[in-house]
Amino acid sequence: MVGGSGTVLVAAIGFGVVSAAVIALAAIGFTLQVGISNIWNFAYGDIMIACSYAGYAANHAGASIPLCVVVGAVVGSILSIATNRLIFMRFLARGVSSFGMLIVSLWCGVVLQNILLAVFGDHFFTYKLNVSRPNAALKDLGFLLNSTQLSIIGLAVVLIFLLYLFLEYTQLGQAMRATSSNSSLARVSGINTARVIDITWGISGALCGVAGVVFAITVGAFESTSGEGFLVIVFAAAMIGGLGKPLGAALGGLVLGVAMEVLAVYIQSDLKEIAALGILVALLIFRPQGLFRGVSSAKGAAPA
Amino acid sequence: MTYYVTTILVYFGVDALAIWGLNVQYGLCGLYNFAFILFQSLGAYTAAVLTLGPASGNGGYQHYVLGASLPFPLPLIAAGLAGAGLGIVLGLLTRRVGADLMAVLTFVVSVMAVLVVSAVIPLFNGPAGLSSVPAPLQSTFHISYSSYPWFFVGVVAVVCAIALISVRALTNSPLGRAMRAIRENEKACSALGKNVAGLKLFAFAYGGALIGVSGALLVMFIGAWSPGSWEVIETLSAFAAIIIGGTGNNYGVVAGVFVTQIFLTELTRFLPQFSATNLIGSMQWIVIGVLTLAFMWFRPRGIFPERKRVIELDRLDPSESRSHDLGSSTAGRSQEAQKSQ
Repeated sequence: MVGGSGTVLVAAIGFGVVSAAVIALAAIGFTLQVGISNIWNFAYGDIMIACSYAGYAANHAGASIPLCVVVGAVVGSILSIATNRLIFMRFLARGVSSFGMLIVSLWCGVVLQNILLAVFGDHFFTYKLNVSRPNAALKDLGFLLNSTQLSIIGLAVVLIFLLYLFLEYTQLGQAMRATSSNSSLARVSGINTARVIDITWGISGALCGVAGVVFAITVGAFESTSGEGFLVIVFAAAMIGGLGKPLGAALGGLVLGVAMEVLAVYIQSDLKEIAALGILVALLIFRPQGLFRGVSSAKGAAPA
Repeated sequence: MTYYVTTILVYFGVDALAIWGLNVQYGLCGLYNFAFILFQSLGAYTAAVLTLGPASGNGGYQHYVLGASLPFPLPLIAAGLAGAGLGIVLGLLTRRVGADLMAVLTFVVSVMAVLVVSAVIPLFNGPAGLSSVPAPLQSTFHISYSSYPWFFVGVVAVVCAIALISVRALTNSPLGRAMRAIRENEKACSALGKNVAGLKLFAFAYGGALIGVSGALLVMFIGAWSPGSWEVIETLSAFAAIIIGGTGNNYGVVAGVFVTQIFLTELTRFLPQFSATNLIGSMQWIVIGVLTLAFMWFRPRGIFPERKRVIELDRLDPSESRSHDLGSSTAGRSQEAQKSQ
């Protein structure tokens, strides 16, 4: 707090990049699901928090933080594939409208959230961490980031890059993009769309799980309802980047994370979320079609 | 015991009122309003600030806008107007937005409104909320504290009766028929020359007014309202009531309200306290959630499905209309002539 507003601003950008990493990971997983199945999965935030709890259990059982992240990813993957296969796809196959799917996913989220509440209780949970001091080299530049925060940023960058390579250069990634843009065409081209959909939900669930664990680490304390508020931020990031576009969601997460932390320097800090939601509302109203080109062709992605 | 019974009756009436409003929007016109609880809260806050008197009074421990102490029916009417106004605003905002994005948009607006009301304290006293809202007509009629709850049950019953008559009239009117047409096929309805945008706005406002009034009655009864009491889950359970009861059926949705808001809530109250209280609270939501999903799977039209409205074919038969109307008789004849050729 010694320096002027410039120092504060630089520090805020640093924190912004950390929260951007969390938002980006979550938003990519979310947007993949919208792209492949055309479902706004309102249970996403709650699945994320379930993974936070899984990581928490691993953490308190003595696992290292990287292992907790892996546990979160596995749990997220299993939960996502299970909800999609056992609930979402069956309701879609019954011809439930897209609004009906919103209701279905919302209630799935509420049920999961309340199971977590009943199992773990209604207090806050914190991971056991070795909190190190801010990195000295970066401190000279004005960023106050410790090694945990730097690893989170690194993890997000690596995962996003790997996902990019996977989607662009592997056959499976190509099949995923094909199914996302036109599932019927993908199916007649010989792509096993049911398997591709499973894999996509697995990958998006893993990202959701990783996001859940790093979310719990960055915010410090979480509870069963923490996913609700975060979900709308994830919506906003996915909308900014164009729904159904993973790299767009990463970019949206970066913009939103940094913008929110920087805004918090200048305005009352609890208004930063309102500002983020304001952006989302404006996007939904003024650019609904423009941002939805990626999705409109993904209708009926679930095999009948 | 009196307190218990009257409280349940008031809640039931208020919930029924709100659900009729949502049913006009969603069940009748097919509008996806995920900001249900925002309407109820706006009604509650409007009624509260219009009965509490100036904010500087009462020691000024609460901050709010527009302090006034209007006589009884006026705050209720104002709450209805506020709900209708919000309906028009949301209707205009979602005008160009596709169907499921309407749900997402209203959902986000609802979440945002909670944050705004919590952050901007001068508006409605922030997170602490408004309290000590005076009970209407208690001082004017000098009603004792013991009999007042029954008096309030009467007030709620009168409002509900008026609402039911008006909602029934709307459902059976040509206006209601046009709304059902929008729900079933918006494009076809528009092609038939109906003013789809206008009808949607009307449904938004009409339903919004009912939900707003329900919020006003609720705040007058419990005397307090804070951002904590309007979470998204309330909106979701209102939709659960409609889906379980029977979408579009004015009596069915009341049955839905009874199941979700009264029966399950009171049932869990009588369960033995075998564990921490939050377990029972969670169980209640889990049961409502599973029940809603089960209904969507096994009985998507609800306990009491909406009555099928059939117009019998012989009433449209041109041979019958010929005897009534000279103009159409020539049309009928020329059709017959074409057929015979």
